[in-house]
Amino acid sequence: MPEVRLEGLGKRYGNLTAVNNVHLTVHDGEYVTVLGPSGCGKTTLIRMIAGIIEPTEGKVYIDGRDMAGVPIEDRDIGYVFQNIALFPHLTVKDNVSYGPRARALPPEEQLRVSRRFLELVRLLDRMGMFPDELCGGEQQKAALARALASGSRLLLLDEPLSALDSRVRVDLRYELRRLAKELGLTTIHVTHDQEEAQSVSDRIVLMRAGAIVETGTPEELYARPKHIFTANFIGETNLLEGWVVEIRDGISVIELRNGGKVEVHQTDHSVGDAVVISVRPEFMYPADEGMRAVVRGITYMGTYWRVKAETEDDEEVDFDMATLDGNLLTIGKDVYLAVNPKAAVLYPRPEDGVEEAIRLE
Amino acid sequence: MVAAISRKRFLTGWTAFIILFFLFFVILPTIYILSYAFTEWGSIEALLEDQGRMDLIWGAIGASFQIAGIVTVIDIVTGLPMAWMLVRKDFRGKNLLDTLIDMPLAVPTAALGFSSAMFFAITDESLQAPSFALGTIGSPYLLIILLHVVFSYPYMVRSLSAILVQIDQTYETAGRTLGASPLTAARTITLPLFRAGLVTGIILCFARSLSETGGTMIALATMANARGFATGPTLIGEWKDALDSQPDLAAPLAFVSILLILLSLALLVVIKLVVMRVHLPMGRIWPRPERLLSRGVFPKVKDGLAVLFLVVFVLVPSFFIFTYVGSVEPTAFDWAPFIRSLLYSFLIAGVVTGIDIALGVPLALYIAKNRSGRLAGALDVLVNVPLIVPTAALGYSLGVFWASQEIVPTHDVLLIVLAHVAFTYPLVVRNVAGAVEEVDPAYEETARTLGARPVQAFRRVLYPMVKSSILAGAIMAFTRSLGETGATQAVVANAQTAPVYIVDLINLETAAGYYSAGLACIMLIVISFLFMLALRYVTNRRAR
Ligand SMILES: Nc1ncnc2c1ncn2[C@@H]1O[C@H](COP(=O)(O)OP(=O)(O)OP(=O)(O)O)[C@@H](O)[C@H]1O
Ligand SMILES: [Mg+2]
Repeated sequence: MPEVRLEGLGKRYGNLTAVNNVHLTVHDGEYVTVLGPSGCGKTTLIRMIAGIIEPTEGKVYIDGRDMAGVPIEDRDIGYVFQNIALFPHLTVKDNVSYGPRARALPPEEQLRVSRRFLELVRLLDRMGMFPDELCGGEQQKAALARALASGSRLLLLDEPLSALDSRVRVDLRYELRRLAKELGLTTIHVTHDQEEAQSVSDRIVLMRAGAIVETGTPEELYARPKHIFTANFIGETNLLEGWVVEIRDGISVIELRNGGKVEVHQTDHSVGDAVVISVRPEFMYPADEGMRAVVRGITYMGTYWRVKAETEDDEEVDFDMATLDGNLLTIGKDVYLAVNPKAAVLYPRPEDGVEEAIRLE
Repeated sequence: MVAAISRKRFLTGWTAFIILFFLFFVILPTIYILSYAFTEWGSIEALLEDQGRMDLIWGAIGASFQIAGIVTVIDIVTGLPMAWMLVRKDFRGKNLLDTLIDMPLAVPTAALGFSSAMFFAITDESLQAPSFALGTIGSPYLLIILLHVVFSYPYMVRSLSAILVQIDQTYETAGRTLGASPLTAARTITLPLFRAGLVTGIILCFARSLSETGGTMIALATMANARGFATGPTLIGEWKDALDSQPDLAAPLAFVSILLILLSLALLVVIKLVVMRVHLPMGRIWPRPERLLSRGVFPKVKDGLAVLFLVVFVLVPSFFIFTYVGSVEPTAFDWAPFIRSLLYSFLIAGVVTGIDIALGVPLALYIAKNRSGRLAGALDVLVNVPLIVPTAALGYSLGVFWASQEIVPTHDVLLIVLAHVAFTYPLVVRNVAGAVEEVDPAYEETARTLGARPVQAFRRVLYPMVKSSILAGAIMAFTRSLGETGATQAVVANAQTAPVYIVDLINLETAAGYYSAGLACIMLIVISFLFMLALRYVTNRRAR
């Protein structure tokens, strides 16, 4: 059964390193997303797995088999392209039955397979149409059906939803996961959209500038990211700089640059260390004491209010208020902000500064 | 208000003038000879009884069409792997290969005919062809096929690669992720997407071969024993030459021209229908053999053969003449008549190109902007007619047309210019119309909403975007006019253009005649090259 293992995989174009020393194992039946900002090498990585690009270093194993020198058509993969790439001269049905046809299955079998997968993506009634007669979402589903109909158990998706509008995108992501799980596929899904990654995957691989930053379940990467870059890239967060001034009973007390004090349930630093605290907006709230700030803006987000405030040393801090409490604050009002000590995460202050650590490239 | 009305009237008048010019100076003369079948039916009926002449006519027409068909097939089979290699592969020396393919385009067909015949064919003793010439082809039929491949191959490769670059390679890759081998993917995905473009390539190639006269005549003259063999165009040239002494040739000449015109137009329609409709057995896939052919040595052998073909059947015959002139005893060369013929050719080509641009660009604009209208649609189809009709037939028809009226005086140079305009005018129109259609009309409309009047809007906005297409059309028109023999001879039998002058030298069948012809060919090649380089320089500088 398909398991994908990458060992020290790398791709260089002259001086430019598109992918650098990637080690990764995707288990059989697992749904993994490769997430990262534009240009970080996601497409290059997934194309090397498919055999469309030759790696300059390292190896790709599929099912334990070394793929060096194995051409695309012998890798037994399903691939959905960033630009969809349905064959324009073939009908939807003929697009989907191309895989069975390429393996010279008898015509009735070709038809059966294409019907089955078109039904699975709920496109049976579009069978006789040409790709340019479908809307974006339908084209994407047809492309998916085509990839699945090749019978492969390994599905590679390169930004399969990026061309669609947000509503269709959300619907289709659940569809993707449902199908992958229903058919027991191993899936590698490339995306730059962190929400999409969080909602579909068993595990997220976060990349930056050609290398893996961190891998983990969506929950791990959200709640306990190991790197500041992850904390900033996945979800939203406030990054506050300070020093450890006291450690007691499993709690570190951090004095912020602006003089405010914050408590955090984490004690792996020593007194005097320069640190950065990452706090998500939903874990910061107004209290009687804490960090002083002035409210600068209030935005209604549907299920909560997003408040933007400015601390005394001109840093911007975001926090959320329940819908019912929104009217308690007005612009220009002073607030004291407290942090949920269980939800804040401490990082050693990066040498090159926070800005550098969260830069996308 | 008054100014607006007069401007509108002026525009309508101008448009009418351009369309009338096209209809009465280009289209009507091109097909005028067809009327001969009605007005002089008696003499054609008499001709049909004349078994000897009819055999000659059918032989020549049959040879022309067979040769064009065979040449097109050879071009596709050998040109496709070459185009594929140039577009889809990366390798050292690709740029060199790319340049080499274009080189024969700069050699006038007259020079190509002499050079190729010398390389391929068994030649006259007095020619003293270099000992390393192939020198084995004894059949004029075969020789003309080889010659036509030499000059049409670059066109085929160019038009095939132009389409190929436009087909997204992702389709092929997608096919391969679905389990198709490279050969299968190319055959079932890329080739079908290719069809519409293939039609253009085939028609271009077919029409060029059908129409070719100068090179063919020279090759036949160079060959040791080609007496009695003729293609449609060379037959017209031969008979037109003899028309003054044998006035009864008028009917056969008209009949050959009519046949060539009608058959070539019918063929245009047939090719379009056949290539678009015919369902090749593309559906089946044979995974194992196709996979085998996609791997290992096969692709390398295929690419190697493609390059070998280019070298042996295109490049060497194109430039063989240089080895001849280098190896043979020099004799005295008479410069004066050669220079005179050269100037004559250049003068005609220059005037023709000027007329083409002045009157072709407005028609192109009209067609491109009123594409949906009936009249413009009809003009768009008609524009192709002079491109398809073999130029010798066109020339003869045109000569008869102008001789039949008394309004415009018929002077030799004027007739040649009119004939050349007829078949080069469509090149400019098609190039420019194509480019204008690509330009988003929104640009020009924006300019007009910003207050520019139509003429200004054209000059400031549209012209900068399409001027390279005007230049490209002009270059094509100029070179086609310069190299033309068929139409020239068919209007004025003894016109002294450079290609005709070379034919005359070869027909002397003396060592000195051959040598002089060789030297003249080389000079023609060098001049064409310099000319092309200069034009390329100008084009690049303008584009920047
Ligand atoms: N053929 C190539 N030659 C040179 N550089 C390349 C080539 N292909 C990709 N790159 C570079 O490699 C880097 C990674 O490209 P890649 O397409 O893998 O990014 P990506 O993460 O898929 O981006 P996006 O989200 O925009 O699709 C980029 O900096 C890109 O410019
Ligand atoms: Mg990408």
